[in-house]
Amino acid sequence: MMTSPRNCPQCDTELPADAPDGVCPKCLVQQGFDSQTATADEAHGSIGSTSGPGFRAPSPDELSGRFPQFDIIELVGQGGMGAVYKARQPTLDRFVALKILPPEVGEDPAFAERFKREARALAMLSHTSIVTVYDFGEADGLYYFVMEFVDGTNLRQTIAQGGLTPPEALAIVPQICDALQAAHDEGVVHRDIKPENVLIDKRGRVKITDFGLAKLLGADTDDTAIGKPFTLTGTRQVMGTAHYMAPEQIQSSSSVDHRTDIYSLGVVFYEMLTGELPIGRFEPPSSKVQIDVRLDDVVLRSLASEPDRRYQHASDVKTEVETIVNDDPGRRQPVPNTPDLRPSVRDRLKAPAVGLVVAKCGRRAGHAGHPAVLPPHFRGRARRPLDSNADVQRDRGDQPGPWDRAGARCRQDVRPAVVSHRGGRERGRHAPIRPWRRHQPAVWYLGAGRAVDGRGAGGVCQGIRTGAHVTQRCAVRTRAGIG
Amino acid sequence: MVVEAGRRSSPQSADALATLCEIYWFPLYAYVRRQGQSTDDAQDLTQGFFAHLLDKQTLRAADRERGHFRSFLLASLKHFLAKQWRRDAAQKRGGGRAPIALDFDDGETRYRIEPSHESTPEKLFERQWALTLLARALATLRSEFEASGKAARFASLKMYLGGEKSRVPYRELAGQLETSEGAVKVAIHRMRRRYRAILREEIRHTVDAAEDVDDELRRLFDAVTP
Repeated sequence: MMTSPRNCPQCDTELPADAPDGVCPKCLVQQGFDSQTATADEAHGSIGSTSGPGFRAPSPDELSGRFPQFDIIELVGQGGMGAVYKARQPTLDRFVALKILPPEVGEDPAFAERFKREARALAMLSHTSIVTVYDFGEADGLYYFVMEFVDGTNLRQTIAQGGLTPPEALAIVPQICDALQAAHDEGVVHRDIKPENVLIDKRGRVKITDFGLAKLLGADTDDTAIGKPFTLTGTRQVMGTAHYMAPEQIQSSSSVDHRTDIYSLGVVFYEMLTGELPIGRFEPPSSKVQIDVRLDDVVLRSLASEPDRRYQHASDVKTEVETIVNDDPGRRQPVPNTPDLRPSVRDRLKAPAVGLVVAKCGRRAGHAGHPAVLPPHFRGRARRPLDSNADVQRDRGDQPGPWDRAGARCRQDVRPAVVSHRGGRERGRHAPIRPWRRHQPAVWYLGAGRAVDGRGAGGVCQGIRTGAHVTQRCAVRTRAGIG
Repeated sequence: MVVEAGRRSSPQSADALATLCEIYWFPLYAYVRRQGQSTDDAQDLTQGFFAHLLDKQTLRAADRERGHFRSFLLASLKHFLAKQWRRDAAQKRGGGRAPIALDFDDGETRYRIEPSHESTPEKLFERQWALTLLARALATLRSEFEASGKAARFASLKMYLGGEKSRVPYRELAGQLETSEGAVKVAIHRMRRRYRAILREEIRHTVDAAEDVDDELRRLFDAVTP
């Protein structure tokens, strides 16, 4: 008798027999990450044994003495970076957000100077998608910012309340890009892009907050100018944004530049689309939600571990996303694994620039219906162009985790791609794609391209080791067994 | 603990190492078994490996910058296995030192109930490592609950350790425990927070620096992801 496999109610993967205490090990590990902790209501007090000095947000009454110019209405949020209050500024008859920093920062004598310098830079930022800093200063040893009050919610809450649809996510990303680009143009790196810092007002407009605060508070720096105990314990632990940090940011803060934000943006993007974090080996977004596969490239390129391989400007991400979104839906690539793409692929085959298609081999299909590009002994159904995937592969190099998952997906429907003898053309640029033998078609694998995987295609394939370039990677030599 | 085990040659360092070995021997044993060794040989080799580690103070010699105790241990084991001529080394192994207490009977049982894996010995090792770590964190948590007389409560709440979703809604659980839904939420929240602290502390023992904990968590996540 077979019992149906029990699945984890959280992540819906099959619960392994050796799960400790019957709890899904994957979720148990996931619970260990700090960002799980960093919700506003629990950041005060000590968090387990690893947390540093706690920060208790003063009540509005306690604060009102220090800020006579405001009517402090309520505490709206707090975290390792301080606490935020909704306040009213009677003189200008407007609501403001009053952010106070943890009092410990004041213990460092160098902080005052630093605070002034950084805050000025932040106050210079002026953009519709950036929360405006009205004022900053120090009141009885308490450092504070007065900021534009955003009446709405943050992206974390939005995701938690049932998530976003892909179109919603795709509307948000360009706005984040705009804000980042504007800040980067001013030489300000956010350093802590995460859903909590992406606010959405009631009209759906995105506002990024806490620009540069991570740097100011030394949360991701080893800057000795900042009080060491604060840096190494308190903030780091409660900040809990390790998931959103770029690899270079985790390793050393000295190499952080604007591309760090692009990585974090990639994480947020992925999370918005899938509701999950791209941790470990993760699947491309299109295999989880119904979106244009080209968005995989955008997300994954943003997530490249090497800054040089990412988009170099936030505006580039916006351009790519908008190009894909605005593209004629008729020509849009559906998600992979949709059954028959023959007409659309044929369209593409007729396009002069495309010399590269993916053909499903090992399946006898009628010859007559086949695109002329395919060599006559190739019988199979054309599936989809490789070019988008080629980018995926190109970036693969240093990020074996995620890409292995991509590879695994592709291996399920392993399909060699036919390369014409003249070589392929990829994104308007000649790619040195050469068949191994003149008269034998070279076959490409989407994915890890290990030789053994080739058997599923019906051909006898000899694998080659993947090389540094996409053009070498995943190519396998085939014999006549195909088709 | 790793730092202690490795940095100095002192009674504490030997103790610390022995403690770590006692915790994490099973993944190593599984690795050796997976390499195709018989039960006896695998037991012998695992024991021999630890003796070697304790004897030669390999840990001290190791480049501490490498950080992860897990990868260090696996690398050492591979090295050890490669060097080992089983037969003639058998007598020398241990050098008169009393073997540390490893429950091989339990180990073999665990190994046998392991599903047959497609994965490589390394993958198996890492997975087992992660599971050992998780089981240890859960055991600590459970003992804390038991110490305060809440063993039953732990049993009902533990299914929420992985996250909010569960087969039993909060309300139902509150009924079972004869308390309010809010109280259940708070209890779960506290338990989860405590669990997280324990888990991180546990991992902290196996890495060099506190900053490496998240990195190690990511690897563990990989290891347990099927």
